[in-house]
Amino acid sequence: MNTKKNKITTVPAELPQQVAANDAGDTSLHVSKLSLALDGKNILRDISFSLPAQGMNILIGPSGAGKSTLLRCLNLLHSDWHGELRIMGHDARCWPEGEDELRRSIGLIAQKPALFPCSIQQNIVFGLSRKECSYMPQIRIEKVLKQAALWDEVKNRLHDHAATLSVGQQQRLCIARALMLSPKMLLLDEPTASLDPRSKQFIETSLLELAQNMPVLCVTHDIEQAKRLGGQVIFMCDGHLIESGDSKLFFKYPNRIESREFLRWSVCDCS
Amino acid sequence: MSMNERNAKILTTMLALPALLPPAACLSYILFKGIPVLDWAMLIGSSQAIAFGSISTLWPQITGSILLMLGACALAAPVALGGALFYALAANIRQRQTLLGMMHLLVGIPPIVYGLCGLIVLVHVLHWGISLLTGMVILAVIILPMLLMNSVNAFDRIPGGKTEAARALGLSNGQLIRRVWLPVAWPALMTGLLLGMARALSETAPILFTATVFSGVVWPDSLFSPVTSLQTHIFYLAQEGANAEAVDIAWASAVILVILVTALSFGASALRKIRMDG
Repeated sequence: MNTKKNKITTVPAELPQQVAANDAGDTSLHVSKLSLALDGKNILRDISFSLPAQGMNILIGPSGAGKSTLLRCLNLLHSDWHGELRIMGHDARCWPEGEDELRRSIGLIAQKPALFPCSIQQNIVFGLSRKECSYMPQIRIEKVLKQAALWDEVKNRLHDHAATLSVGQQQRLCIARALMLSPKMLLLDEPTASLDPRSKQFIETSLLELAQNMPVLCVTHDIEQAKRLGGQVIFMCDGHLIESGDSKLFFKYPNRIESREFLRWSVCDCS
Repeated sequence: MSMNERNAKILTTMLALPALLPPAACLSYILFKGIPVLDWAMLIGSSQAIAFGSISTLWPQITGSILLMLGACALAAPVALGGALFYALAANIRQRQTLLGMMHLLVGIPPIVYGLCGLIVLVHVLHWGISLLTGMVILAVIILPMLLMNSVNAFDRIPGGKTEAARALGLSNGQLIRRVWLPVAWPALMTGLLLGMARALSETAPILFTATVFSGVVWPDSLFSPVTSLQTHIFYLAQEGANAEAVDIAWASAVILVILVTALSFGASALRKIRMDG
């Protein structure tokens, strides 16, 4: 902990810490002044940030900061927020094909893998309509399984029940299932929490490859993992977006006292 | 096992005995009295002689009971499922509280009161008469709260992650219900349905003066015809304590009723063992 403490240094505020919130150019997702209250409690307050068209984005912050809720807002699983959310230049609330179609465009992977009581293959094509399934070639299933770094482990048992997979494999199956819908971006809520290092490494490698073609926003509590994944870091605390910017800069020169405290102790006391 | 643990086990077993012994004794006595008088002719034989105390078959009563039970479940199950889906998908907190509050209230109302309502409203006001349909509707109303609360619990127990994962994949409400909720919750839904069937099969008072007659009916001509049923048949025969033959048939009817209800309960118990996550 002391080593970490010594590494953190403050830099002047003029360094490019805040990601532009209003650049509509090469962004795939643009959030402006997004707020959400649940049961009278403010969970998210004036969140503004943008995600570029591709690349890794890490969302970090203490427990209860609102990270998971933010992901659910971006996917419209929570829809009673205020503010503006633009995806691929479109207002998310007025998505041309409706909310369900928008959700298909944004892959959301939860912390705990949620599989359906059917085979591995059926789970992969679960999001597809019957018509889509009928002309979905096997090669596409192979492709998404390879993207999720799972192909080698399941290629001979695609018809086995999905519950026979290990938790790490189940999580990668969830990633493959989301990829099957050709999403425009991926949102992941602590995808490697409680996984063994090997599974963690598989998933990280897979995410880094995916991030070359689409924006990936990954919530994590693991600072080391955040450093490994790199890209842009968004730091949240108590429903506020405190700071965001390039991960190397953020971890080396956190600009705000909350960020420094979080990195120092991995505990944030915003009061 | 230490002495203390053994003593604790003996003590708890003794505490459980008062709860187990009376029903077990009752069941044993029913079987002891009923099985010797049961024979195949009584179950499936001719139904020509249906004079009091000389009934040669219980087939009309068995089919009457089963018709009432199936009809009640056919009426109540879709309403219960619809109510539970409304509760899970569309209702706000106040509507949920109102719905569950009403169901708890309805569960507590004695079945004879439903029978009385059925007699006045369905039999007399709507002129349905003492009929199969009246009995089905009354039994459906009686088992509806139980089925609805069971369905609500079944959907509540679906892991939230599955619902969220399905929604994240863009499934609409209809697809969510058809492809996730029903496949995951069907063992619990079926368990409730079987218990509802057992309840419908056990109810006597509400159908006593709304649906059944003692004799003269083999198979109802229509939904508006009266039926005979095992439950009410036992009631009528048991009143004839002086007629040994009638009492024997009452015991035989009781055995058949117990077998039917037990089969449904075992079915429910077997389904309960199926894990909800498949």
